[in-house]
Order: sequence, then C-alpha cells, then structure tokens
Amino acid sequence: MSTRSEGPLGLDDDALAACVACGLCLPHCPTYRVTGLEFASPRGRIAAMREVEAGSMPIDDSFERAMTECVQCRACEAACPSSVPFGHMMEDTRAALTEQEHGTSASRPRRALEWVGYRLVLPHHIVLLGATWLLLAAQKLHLVPKRLALPALSPRSLARRLDVERGGQPHAWLFTGCVMDAWLRDTHRSTARVMRATGATIARPGAGGDCCGALHVHAGRREEARTLARRIIASMPGDAPVVVNSAGCGAAMKEYGVLLDTPDARAFSARVRDFSEWVVERGVPATSRSATPIVVQDPCHLRHVQRSHLAVRTALGESFALVELDDDGLCCGAGGAYAATQPELATAIRDRKVDAIRNAVGQPDPVVASANPGCMLHLRAAGLDVRHPADLLAEVLDG
Amino acid sequence: MCFPDSAETIAAAVRVARRHGRPFVARGSGTGLAGGAVPVDDPVVIVTTRCNRVLDVDPVQRVAWVEPGVLNLDLSRTIRHLGLHYAPDPSSQAACSIGGNVATNAGGPHCLAYGVTAMHVLAVEVVLPDGSVTTLGGLEPDAPGYDLRGCFVGSEGTMGIATRIAVRLTPNPPEVATLLLDFTSVDDAAATVSGTIASGALPAALEMMDAKITRAVEDFVGAGYPRDAEAVLLVEVDGLADGVAEQVAAVSEIGKANGARHVRVAADDAERALLWKGRKSAFGAIARIAPDYYLHDAVVPRSKLLDVLRRVYAIADEHALTMMNVFHAGDGNLHPLIAYDRRQPGVWEHVYEAGTEILRTCIDAGGVLSGEHGVGLEKRDLMPLLFSPDDLDAQARLRDAFDPDGAANPEKVLPRGSRCGELTAERASIGDKSCPLSTHALWWCRSVGEHIGKLAVGRPRSATGSWKCARPRA
Ligand code: SF4
Ligand code: SF4
Repeated sequence: MSTRSEGPLGLDDDALAACVACGLCLPHCPTYRVTGLEFASPRGRIAAMREVEAGSMPIDDSFERAMTECVQCRACEAACPSSVPFGHMMEDTRAALTEQEHGTSASRPRRALEWVGYRLVLPHHIVLLGATWLLLAAQKLHLVPKRLALPALSPRSLARRLDVERGGQPHAWLFTGCVMDAWLRDTHRSTARVMRATGATIARPGAGGDCCGALHVHAGRREEARTLARRIIASMPGDAPVVVNSAGCGAAMKEYGVLLDTPDARAFSARVRDFSEWVVERGVPATSRSATPIVVQDPCHLRHVQRSHLAVRTALGESFALVELDDDGLCCGAGGAYAATQPELATAIRDRKVDAIRNAVGQPDPVVASANPGCMLHLRAAGLDVRHPADLLAEVLDG
Repeated sequence: MCFPDSAETIAAAVRVARRHGRPFVARGSGTGLAGGAVPVDDPVVIVTTRCNRVLDVDPVQRVAWVEPGVLNLDLSRTIRHLGLHYAPDPSSQAACSIGGNVATNAGGPHCLAYGVTAMHVLAVEVVLPDGSVTTLGGLEPDAPGYDLRGCFVGSEGTMGIATRIAVRLTPNPPEVATLLLDFTSVDDAAATVSGTIASGALPAALEMMDAKITRAVEDFVGAGYPRDAEAVLLVEVDGLADGVAEQVAAVSEIGKANGARHVRVAADDAERALLWKGRKSAFGAIARIAPDYYLHDAVVPRSKLLDVLRRVYAIADEHALTMMNVFHAGDGNLHPLIAYDRRQPGVWEHVYEAGTEILRTCIDAGGVLSGEHGVGLEKRDLMPLLFSPDDLDAQARLRDAFDPDGAANPEKVLPRGSRCGELTAERASIGDKSCPLSTHALWWCRSVGEHIGKLAVGRPRSATGSWKCARPRA
C-alpha cells in the first residue's frame, strides 16, 4: 500500500523512492535537452521533491521554478524502467504549491491572470467564445503579438455552428471541448464527417460538457478539475464511446478514474477513445490515395500518456505516405498552457522539433500530422503546415 | 558548478579553478555507477552537457570528432544515414555521454566482438590539470611516441578532461540476427555460453539475465521475455547473410543441446529493438522489486562463471537478500545486483557484507574488480586487493606526471597512500580490515542519491536569477 509522505508536498512515499537515479529518462526530457541542466531534468526534479519532502530544502522560488518549467509531457514516465509515476508526482506537487499559495509579490498579478483563465474563461464556454470574438477583433487590428502563438481565427468558421446535435443516444459521442471548439472548429467538422462515414450516429455532449479540466490538473488546480470532470461525465451518459480529437483532453479524461477515484469515473474513462484509436477500432472508412507525404508528430499526451499513437499511423497509412521522425517522440514544447507561460523554453524546444521535422523529409514545407490542438497551434506558429489527422482523412474520404 | 559549451570554455573553466587553487571534476550525464563524478574536496564541477555537438564526420575515413557531452546513442543516430554507427554501447547508451565513456573506458553488450571504448577512440584533445590543451593520439593508424591516448582513456578524469574526441565509426553489419534462448536453470544457460564460445563462434553480443530480472524487465517492455524461465540468453550475431544464418543455426543447436526450452529469433528490427530495450533497462527495472540496489561489476574467467554464480546466489541466501544477475556472459563480466529497501532497518549491513563476500569470491576465482564501470570512489579502497604496493605506486606516479598537484578529480581511483613512502596508518588500516569495502565506499552507496539531489538543487545561477550560468572567463 502506498503511503503519503509527511512532508509539505504530501507525495507518495513509494513513488519518491522508486527513482533509482539511473538517468535513462534524461534524453527524453525536452527541458533537459535544451538546457543541459540537471534541475531541469526529471531526475533533478525528483531529487528536489525529495529534498523538500525531507525538509532539507525550503519551497522557494528556485524550487517552484524547477517545477513550473516542466512541460508535463510525461516522456520521462514512458522512458522510466522503474515506472516512476512522474506525471502524478508533478501534479501533486503543483497542487501542493497552488494550495499553499506560496505567493511572492511577483507572482500575484500572474495569479490573478490565472484566476481569470482557469475559473472564468475555460469553464464557461460562453465567456470563452466571447473572448475569442474579442481576440479575433484584436487580431484584425494587429494588436496581438505574434510570439503569443495564437491561431489565425476565421470569423466564417466561428460564426457557423457545428452541425452535430447535443445529447441523445448516439453510437459515439464527439467531445468538442473548450479551446478546440472555439479555435479549431473546422477540425470538429472534419471529425464529424469521418465519424459519420463509418456509419456511426454521433452527438455532442449535453449541457456542461465543455471544458475537460486538463489544464487545471496541470496547473495543480485539482478541485476545479474534479468539478469539471463530474460535469463532463454527466454530460455524456450511457455506454457509447467518447471520441476525443484533442490528445491532451483525451489523456485527462482517460485519467478521470484516478482523479475522482469512483467506479463511475473509472467506467467513464474506459469509454474514452482518441479519434484515431476509435476510427481504427471501428474500421477506417474508404479513402482515396493522396500523393502528399505526411510527417507524423506524436503529441506527448497521445504517445506517453494514452500510448495510442500507433493508431494514427493505421488510420492514415492507407491514404498517405507517412514519414517518421527520428527523435524518440521528444516534446514540441506546446504543453497545454506552457507555450504561453514559458515562452522562452517552449520556443527553444520547438526549434529542435522543427529541425527534426525538416530533416526527416528534406524539404522546407512539409505537411505535418498532429492530433493535439496545443501542438498544432504551437508548431503552426513556427510556420509549419500542421493538420489534424481528422482533417487529413476528411479530405481524402471517398464520396 | 559551471556549464561550458565548447572545448575552449572547458579549458577556461579548468584554468579558473586552478588559478583559485580549487580542484575540478567533470560531470557528463550522471549515469556512472562507481561515483567517478561525485564531487569530493569541494571541487569546481565542470558539467559537459552543453558541449553536445558532433563537430565533423568523415564517412570515408570513418572518423568523427565530437564534443564530450554528445550522447552515445545520439552519435549513432546522427551517422545512421551513412550506414555507420559507434560500436561501444553501454546499457545507458541513450543517456550517457561520450566523454563519460572515455573516462571509464566503457563497455557494453557489443564489446564482446567490437571491443571496448579504448579501441574506438583514435585521439583525444584534453585540457591537462595545468590548464594547457594538447592532443593525445592521432588519426593515423600508428601515432608515433608513447600511446598516451591509451593511458588517458579510462583514467576517470584524474589526468584532465577530454574536450574533443575523435572516435572510430563502424560500418553497420549487412545482416543481424538476435536470438532469445530460455532455460529452466542458470546452469544450462551458463553451459550454453561456454559451449558457444568453445565452438569458435564469436557472437556480437552474449548476454544473460536470471529469472527475477527477466520478469522485472518484461513488466516494463512487454517484449515477450518468458516470465517462467530461470535464465535467458540474448545472443546477437552479425556479418554477411550466409554466415549469420550459419551462426544462428549453430547457436540454436548448442542451446538446445544444453536444455534450452525455446529459441526465438527476432523477426524484424522492431522486435530486436524491443528485446534490447529490455536488456538495457534492466538496472532501472529493479525498482519494480525494491527501491534500492547495489550493483557490482566484476570480471571472472569464463571457465569459473558457473562456480562463481552458484556461490553468489548462495551468499545472497545466507543473508536473506534478493539477488539478481544480469551480465555480459560472453566476456565473463558479472553484474550481481542486490535489491533492497533502505527503509528496512538493518538491511544495509547485510547488503554490505554480502557485497564484500561476492567481491572476494570473484577475486579468489582470479577475477578483477571492475569490468566496465570504473573504480571511481566506490572501489577505490578495494584496489589493494588486486594491486601490490609497487603496482599502486607505479600508477600513482603516472598520475602525478599528468597532475602533480592532485587537482584533477581528487580522491578517485587510487586509494590514499598509494605512493611509496606515503604508507600511512590509513593505508595499513585499510589493508588490515577484514572487510574490503571501506567506510568510504559505504558512504558512497548511501549517498549517491543525495549527491544527485545536491547537484539538482545547487544554485548555479547568475545573480539575476536566470538559468544562464556563470560562463568561465578565459
Ligand atoms: S528513468 Fe526513472 S528511475 Fe531512472 S532517473 Fe529517470 S525517473 Fe529515475
Ligand atoms: S514531464 Fe517532460 S518536461 Fe517534465 S520532467 Fe518529464 S520529460 Fe521533462
């Protein structure tokens, strides 16, 4: 039985002890790769957690920094032969940091901004959509700095509603989410087309089924995440699979069982499928063959958390010539809100990824497939042509 | 602590340290298993992780110049499109750096056929402990003069720091086959090893894992390692297609004659990679059994392998400890591994005693202390078990020739009192101890984790609080 430590972070004792400091995770850690610093590596972060738990190091700015600089890509977890549950340790740590409100004066404005983001905008879809229209207006007026890596929004796409009914008893639910629905609604249209092409009837979640809480979990705002998770579960009753085309949301929803620790939540988590995973299970619909080579970029939360990245290849393999990257699935630096909160590191990490992508195909403007909105937006901001597997499939659907 | 990003800044860091009368120690990826990079005597720690460029690749001469922080596997990846690779492949190859490989003269499964690091390093540019920079060895087949390159490789940072390394690149073999043989007893597996070597076959790699380790590894990789086997052998043969087929048949036959239940030949690259991933994650996977482990690295003559193995298991039983074995069977390099939980009271004394007995057994069987991990801090005080005072004195004088002030990685490799006339009470006491593991080694085992912690949370930041570290000024 695992026990919680007595220390200020309340981490799982066995989890902390499980790291044998072998270092096999280091090359998979994006922040270690770009900084070369032990305290920007999983092993260093675990060591720092241990020191804090043992009382030999205070929770100070440098500790908080080592923790917030982690992208939470969880590549270290997939690489770790000891199965150190790094993702949950980091979430626990962030939760403890958030709870303790270890607030230096410098971090107060940031916290206020976070409150607006996590409490106001994300959970209230109407507010998010309103904010998106404002953002769009600001973009038109060239008020939005490029480095924020926000998507180029289209008023046409935003004004058209998604032609999928809410609620009912579908064969499969199409989870539409918050940011994705506001910023990448065309991808939902493609997803719906491909899903229907398999002969399935589909529906969107009923009321409250918008924000999955993934970003809240990452930021250590667990209670808010739990509330959102309960709302999501209630919005999609029945046994039908829950199809998610955002790898980050899918990963979080597959972990509701852990977050809420109830039989209902576990049953719900078992129904969650990534888009490609569901398409492959159901049978890839007939498509025509395209000549475009596609570079496959694995979102971390698809590869390291859901571990269902191979399905993307099966889903696209019949229609496209797929090109693999030679970087062991190293993170692109998007990491949910990471690109916005740690722009410097996120850009340095992305540079490596962009090089890997360009080297893989030997041409400057390759088409890249990525199954996560965060990665799509982050890589697009570097000038790459990034598309969701659903968009790619929808283009080559027969008929 | 400093983070130079080029050969020049490494050299500058050494000069700054020396000017301030401080010793220095280099640190790569921190995957070493003998404490060679643990800072002792308050040295300047020179971290090479940012010196990570492959500087020049010559596919015709098959040579690459690399910086010391280049990761072993990254190098092979960079040159894969040329049909080449870097042959020495320590288990930590995904994470460990070439500089660290040079320091410890690292081995790896494929060193059975291809040889250890020293055979793949043609030249090293080094910064000597006095801050001067020189190149040892050369690209020509037989550089004139003494082979100081050979002397530097494996010196564990006690003769200076490698700043640029010329490595030999090996052509990828046209054909590779990986076999997995499983046995119902360790004896049968060991007999197969002897049989294979005796038959004249020279596999590229010949690795053994016992039952406990096989299960732990399988839990991690799911490569289809048999959970019910008492021992498995992982054998790789390479070369021209015909020769490979012949060798596969020969090894399978020898295995079956010695009681192998199954012989599985990996069907494709993916399967082969998965099997190797299992073997190479073995040490890390131990945590599935217990949170701490103490790993030994001894070499015994192949003919004594079976006897030593039996004795090793018996020792563990006597101390009621969990013992596992994963090792390079082909060259008699044993890695007996004791898994324990330091939170359990009194367990450490048993780990310590059992470790001592194991090492004695290996040395009594004509073996040596270290196969590939190096001596570092961990085995420093065991050196007198293997070397006479004269041997130690000769080694100490060689070291002095490079580093008269003892500034390069102090307190490592050679025990205090190695020099003639320096026979102190301390030395005598080490010699007299009934147990060869000194208190120092004991301390190291306990605190290596904490050391990493200190490195992690040390504050190598500039006053402005940014991650940028103090770059040494030349
Ligand atoms: S791979 Fe796992 S055990 Fe090894 S250092 Fe990383 S977290 Fe620790
Ligand atoms: S989650 Fe990603 S960024 Fe964080 S320590 Fe692990 S590998 Fe590094």
